[in-house]
Amino acid sequence: MRTAVLLGFRLRQEVLEWSGAWWFLLTLVVQAVVAPLIGLFVWSAVYPDNSAIGRYYVAVILVTLMTESFEQHTFSERIYDGTLSHELLRPQPVVLGVIGSNLAIRAWLTFLGAPIVVLTGVALRTGFEWRSLVASVPYIVLAAVLVFLWTFMLSLTAFWTNRVHAVVGFGSQLIFLFGGTAAPIGFLPDTWRRVAEVLPFYGMNGLPAEIAAGTRDGGSLLYQVVWVVVLAAAVWALWRAGVRRYTAVGS
Amino acid sequence: MKLLRLLGAGFSMSLRRSVAFRINLVFDVLLAFTGLGTAIAAVLIVFTRADSLAGWSKAEFLVLIGTYQLITGLRSTFIDPNLSWFPETGIRNGKLDSYLLQPASSLFLASLSLSSPLGLIQSVLGVGVLGWGLTVADQPPSAGGLLSWLLLVVAGMVVTWALSVLLACLAFWAPKLQLDVFYHSAWQLGRYPTDVFARPIRVILTYVFPMALIASVPSAALTHGPRVEVLVAGVLAAGGAAALAALAWRAGLRRYTGATS
Repeated sequence: MRTAVLLGFRLRQEVLEWSGAWWFLLTLVVQAVVAPLIGLFVWSAVYPDNSAIGRYYVAVILVTLMTESFEQHTFSERIYDGTLSHELLRPQPVVLGVIGSNLAIRAWLTFLGAPIVVLTGVALRTGFEWRSLVASVPYIVLAAVLVFLWTFMLSLTAFWTNRVHAVVGFGSQLIFLFGGTAAPIGFLPDTWRRVAEVLPFYGMNGLPAEIAAGTRDGGSLLYQVVWVVVLAAAVWALWRAGVRRYTAVGS
Repeated sequence: MKLLRLLGAGFSMSLRRSVAFRINLVFDVLLAFTGLGTAIAAVLIVFTRADSLAGWSKAEFLVLIGTYQLITGLRSTFIDPNLSWFPETGIRNGKLDSYLLQPASSLFLASLSLSSPLGLIQSVLGVGVLGWGLTVADQPPSAGGLLSWLLLVVAGMVVTWALSVLLACLAFWAPKLQLDVFYHSAWQLGRYPTDVFARPIRVILTYVFPMALIASVPSAALTHGPRVEVLVAGVLAAGGAAALAALAWRAGLRRYTGATS
């Protein structure tokens, strides 16, 4: 209960802080939607008569906006400038602040990006079914957890290297390629498709988008849950090892 | 000549600084490989489903990706270290003041004096992909095509520099306006031929934010042969963009009052 209250306070604080940077948030929205938009145009050019592609990519844009994570900026930079020490001294888990920032930025991106999603959907005359949208909610929630854990895990490498942006950039490339943004994974060659269906990246993007678009009736929530557990364990192990290694100088 | 010597000296110092951190070098090499690999894979997936995309064959796409990567590498090496986050580093933190006091063009110092030599890894890989594309093409490029490609790549670089300067100049009027993320996102669109996009976006990418000139136009010249009107338009666009950037810089400096004491 106390943790939930603390998280609520942190979330409110972060939402208010970010409200002053709406112009910068808009540029983040553009950054989030560019890759799915390119995918949309490319695959619409390949299959001009397939309306499911438009619907799928509109869903990908929405899922991307709702699951974006920037822990390499909001957390890793605190390791580099030493201000993580302040967080470590507080009588609350450090991850609460990280989650608060994450949720606040996602809320703003979803709010500011919603017009783009609606406009694209209307322009492409994509008809979403309410049933599919409702069914996709648990998948999107788990996708949001997966993306957060993946990005946070890679951001924890800042304890060992000062190239965390390169590390997270590499992780983003994997999501782009195997997650269903570069191409719906059904379009991948067979071997690659089978690999993609096992890796966690499909659960971060393509799976919830397919459910929302109605191109897939049901998927395995268990597949996402298993990866949540695996990534959470990896985050926990890296955090413990990283904090033991962490040293800071100054007040 | 003096500016070229300055550019060379700055590059030499940056190179020595960069190779001192070998782990960083490894990271940059790996990221350049994976970044390019991802871009190529995304395109190759398309060509498992279609023979051509918006009229572009696989070989032409590889030429396009190679050209795009070459220019992106040059931008990362010579332009980004100077003009990235310019509103914050140049204006709000007062770095520009030190440039104004030095006996060289402030525009040159602010936009080209620093470099990040490791970015050239991307360019080298880009040339490799370009070579791959030309190898698998139906016919080799003509000498005219090669020359016009070279000329248009230079024009594309000038336009890239001018766009970065123009974006940086906005900081003289709106110091809190930070468009770097937007610029880098829009830059991704250059990796695909403009023919792929819907007409309104195509018009914007050709005339307003000329990403077409960065990779699509030079690649088309290399694979389809030179066209005089395209060459003239490319050179004029480069000249016009550079002149506009210089004018905007001057106007901005007249408005600038300094951030340090």
